[in-house]
Amino acid sequence: MKKYPRWPIHLALLAASFVMLVPFYWVLKTSVSGENIFSYPPNIIPRDPNPFYYVDVWYAIPFARFFLNSVIVSVMTIAANVVLNAMAGYSLTQSFRGKSVVLMLLLSCMMIPFQTTIIPAYLITGKLGLLDSYLGLALPLFSTIICIFVFKASFDAVPRSLIDAAKIDGLSEWKIIWKVMMPLATSAMATNVILSFIWSWNNFMWPLIATRSADMQTLPLGLARFMSYQEDSTGALYAFCIMVLAPGILLFLLAQREFVQGLTSGAAKG
Amino acid sequence: MNNEDFSAPKWKRLLLNRFVLVPAVLILLTVGWNLWVVTHDHGIVEGQVLDATGAPVEGAEVKLWVFNFTTFVVKATTTSRPDGSFEFANNPSHNIQVSAEKPGKGRSARVAIRLYFASEDFVLKDPLRLTDGT
Repeated sequence: MKKYPRWPIHLALLAASFVMLVPFYWVLKTSVSGENIFSYPPNIIPRDPNPFYYVDVWYAIPFARFFLNSVIVSVMTIAANVVLNAMAGYSLTQSFRGKSVVLMLLLSCMMIPFQTTIIPAYLITGKLGLLDSYLGLALPLFSTIICIFVFKASFDAVPRSLIDAAKIDGLSEWKIIWKVMMPLATSAMATNVILSFIWSWNNFMWPLIATRSADMQTLPLGLARFMSYQEDSTGALYAFCIMVLAPGILLFLLAQREFVQGLTSGAAKG
Repeated sequence: MNNEDFSAPKWKRLLLNRFVLVPAVLILLTVGWNLWVVTHDHGIVEGQVLDATGAPVEGAEVKLWVFNFTTFVVKATTTSRPDGSFEFANNPSHNIQVSAEKPGKGRSARVAIRLYFASEDFVLKDPLRLTDGT
């Protein structure tokens, strides 16, 4: 078999990485230097870097409160996503009447943007009395169809004989999910955790509608509020962006291997 | 997760992995930083006022300016001692300026001071120099 050199691939990947990482570097550089983004020629290396724009952000808005709100909502979303999506994913690996219709419905629902369902979501949340609460903020993201299919793909890869053996041993469906399937689906779980965290953490539209008091606002709303009265400070604005992005990047770096495995599991199935 | 060493004891597997160690380090850093803040946030700002010849100036009026949303406003004033030293004990901010003035001796430029946290204790390295007193 002919062996092709790998350096062209590495070169292309390096170029792609460079293109993707430069904006992040630029935001980081501006957050510590405050350099005007229109200055020419731009400095590649930050001049006189300092952390004071981060200090400004910390005191300009109730950052700790917004951060805590975002963390609470994200943790609730992650927990609900892992539990509910695993249950839904497992049910879709079983044979039942109308399964193809359910699958088609789920797939077609993926094409409906959240913005179109925001009014019913608001009315339902209002009827439940959950507006301006953590549960109300997290509720619309409790289960996502993409993540259900990530679990389904992962569960499909588990040999049927293993599930049959568990049933013969007397395990209930519930226990099969948690004792047999979930330990074998760590990649799918990591993908669920990361995706649900990112969606919840970056969510702007729903918290904007569902919150009424400033104390319940999350970080994206804080960023919008910050921009409304700190528009002259590029450094502080970029520092805020880094402070909002950092937890998501950290979580991704921690679980990137499982995340990639989870997204690609089942991808090569015939 | 896939490279887990199953021969290791369970507690080791549960505790010594990056999902526990990284948050633990972050929590330790946060606690350490907050301890540092708590022990250094008395709002003390110290410095010295000198005249153009480098001699200490007694009785100069020193002003503490605090950033107030869009501009700096005077938060406190004090008077320098015989050795030219001064001290503020009630700085509430992280973004301040200090200036000194004495009739007949002149005034100093406003010196901008950026602090790592609000009310951080700070000693001005360079003295405030009064100039243009004639």
